[in-house]
Amino acid sequence: MTLLRVPPPLEQDVDLSKTYDAVIVGSGAAGGMAAHVLTSRGLQVLMLEAGKKLPIEQELRSMQWPYDHPRRGDAPPGYHSLSFNEYNIRTPPYAKGSTFKHVMSYVGGWGGSDYVKNILVDEKDHPYTGTKYAWVRARALGGKTNIWGRLALRLSDYDFKAKTHDGYGDDWPISYADLQPYYDKVDLYLGISGVKENLPHLPDSLFQRPNKLTLGEVRMRESLKNMGRVLTPYRAGVTTDGLKHNRYRSKCYGRGACDRRPGGCDIHAAFDSPTGLIYPAMDTGHLTIRTNSIAHEVLVDRNTGKARGIAFIDSATHKSYEAKAKVVILAASTLESARLLLLSRSPQHPNGIGNSSGHVGHNFCEHVMGPGVTGLVKDLVGKPPTLDDGRPGGFYIPRFRNLQDRQPGFVRGYGFEGSGGFSIFPGNAMGTPGFGAQFKKEVRDHAGAFIGMGGFGEVLARYENYVDLDPDAKDAWGIPTLRFHYQFGDNERKMCEDMVVAGREMFEAAGIEVVGTDDKMLTEGWSIHELGTARMGSDPKTSVLNQFQQSHDVKNLFVVDGSSHVSASCQNPTWTIMALAWRSCEYLADGFRKGTL
Amino acid sequence: MTDATDRPELLSRREMIEATAAALAAPLLPAQAVTAPAAVALPGKFLTAAELALLDALTDLIIPTDDHSPGARAALVSGYIDGRLAESLDPELQARWRSGLEAVDGLSQELNGKPFMQAAPDPRVAVLTRMAAGEAGIQVDQEYKGNVYQRGEYAGYDAK
Repeated sequence: MTLLRVPPPLEQDVDLSKTYDAVIVGSGAAGGMAAHVLTSRGLQVLMLEAGKKLPIEQELRSMQWPYDHPRRGDAPPGYHSLSFNEYNIRTPPYAKGSTFKHVMSYVGGWGGSDYVKNILVDEKDHPYTGTKYAWVRARALGGKTNIWGRLALRLSDYDFKAKTHDGYGDDWPISYADLQPYYDKVDLYLGISGVKENLPHLPDSLFQRPNKLTLGEVRMRESLKNMGRVLTPYRAGVTTDGLKHNRYRSKCYGRGACDRRPGGCDIHAAFDSPTGLIYPAMDTGHLTIRTNSIAHEVLVDRNTGKARGIAFIDSATHKSYEAKAKVVILAASTLESARLLLLSRSPQHPNGIGNSSGHVGHNFCEHVMGPGVTGLVKDLVGKPPTLDDGRPGGFYIPRFRNLQDRQPGFVRGYGFEGSGGFSIFPGNAMGTPGFGAQFKKEVRDHAGAFIGMGGFGEVLARYENYVDLDPDAKDAWGIPTLRFHYQFGDNERKMCEDMVVAGREMFEAAGIEVVGTDDKMLTEGWSIHELGTARMGSDPKTSVLNQFQQSHDVKNLFVVDGSSHVSASCQNPTWTIMALAWRSCEYLADGFRKGTL
Repeated sequence: MTDATDRPELLSRREMIEATAAALAAPLLPAQAVTAPAAVALPGKFLTAAELALLDALTDLIIPTDDHSPGARAALVSGYIDGRLAESLDPELQARWRSGLEAVDGLSQELNGKPFMQAAPDPRVAVLTRMAAGEAGIQVDQEYKGNVYQRGEYAGYDAK
């Protein structure tokens, strides 16, 4: 079988003398979606990406055998990935004083650091300060979609109207009915695999062919039905049937080894922003991209107070430039967009642009993770090997807490991600005692019999969890860094305790022997789901953006990434980020044509 | 670019291991594999010839060729470890491997009265069994005194 690869489209020349219809900062899920929607509506768009344009297939090498890599996937000497202990014992900036030449976030330590060393930022160049935080950043065309975990979930009115449900925090200024048509559009345009479950708290998508479950997973699914809970095949942002309208992406061939290394799919069956959104947008002829462009200020028209463009520094030459546009769209990620808003001080916007409410950087939330359970499906021991990892993920158990019930210790909920069966490397080898032929047999017999899952819980949005600019610290380009004032609270701790208890209970009910539990909360930031630093709302005094992710203060400024989320929910955010961006950019394009921006 | 199944250089690697397995399975039963002369007699990129031979013997004891599949020696594991050590920028890591191999010989001397490579198969297994029990590091190397019921007085100094 030969897979044809379509090269990226030719790039348009960047013309900084011209005023573009819109400038987008960032090229990840949000920026890519903004580019797709706006170019399809005929706007002339300039996209600025702080990172490099990578020959991504050369980075990912999805089908390289471990033994064909000189270091079995590890980065060359001189690279170091931060560990849990380093994040917790030390304080940011974590790379300060490090003897290693390059320091990467923990994602490099997943195994396969060589495959992400050019995607992740070097912590030495990108410091931050304040409270401990495992901040994962990818500066490259496509941003963090290059290392995306692929779980693609919808939010429901249990999330959008969470305050109405339990009294905590704030409702979103939209409901599920507002966003549902845009979730549908995202499903059809990008492809998603899964099984319909008709759950009010986890609405179904328009699914392509689902992945199969392994025996242990099926047993859990059956057993959970008695508890009124659901185990559903991993809802993956992966096209399993193919996409006729996208020539850059192949359908999933179930090749296996999907989970072997951080993210990345070299045939782009898994969604990534470049092949899913940006290349097709370039094909319209309306998208111009400038990489190596580090935005550091939203420029303001001194007369009108409106945004007039972006000031940026070329990462390679350190030269300064201005990009002019009629509309400015920030999609730089939750934390970088907040940083950019705060950096953009002017007489009209003394606290940073769009920050008359003082809420920029605040209500910062995400998912807490760490607690999990590992089990052994005993009657799988000694069974012949099967291909179990020819799928982008195993299973998902949607939230079951605080829907009809009310937990005494915490509000909101969590879901479990997990999988069971064989994978390319028998993880049990590390923990199996002994040596010799008996050891080999022991490892072999048990390799496919394990099943594991970990919780992802909602971290409550709190005003007092925030980021601001460090008055002293600067990055390698002289731009002030973020300072964290952020930590988990009692609700997160209680929720994590419950994850272990509930996880164990579900395994035991399914007849799966629990062989290990993890009750450790991973460092703040670990989920890479940071959200909420420029939240939407209908009251300009307590929110930064309106329901169309448009600045209350500056009509031609939009922030279309995760910073707009009012609460974190416990579902992975990428699909919601893209559905919201689609909705907002339709509104933007309408307003642009009518001249109301 | 093509799918991996189209790439002969990848397949040949896998086929090579399978072929090695078939060839080695019959003559090299685990016990004989230990008595067979070490496959490596040359110095490595970092380890000396003697160290590399010892490492090679150890890896093949841990993951031996058996009737199911080839072992660590067939997979050239010792050479891989030596290569990683040679390019490492961490002198502590290099020193730890070197002193660890030395400790293996020390343990063999203690148990068998001779260095590991001069010991017969069964005494070699005895060394590895002791190592697998964790005693080599904790008791022999670190001379750790705890994790047992203490007799007599508790170690330490009285506060003044």
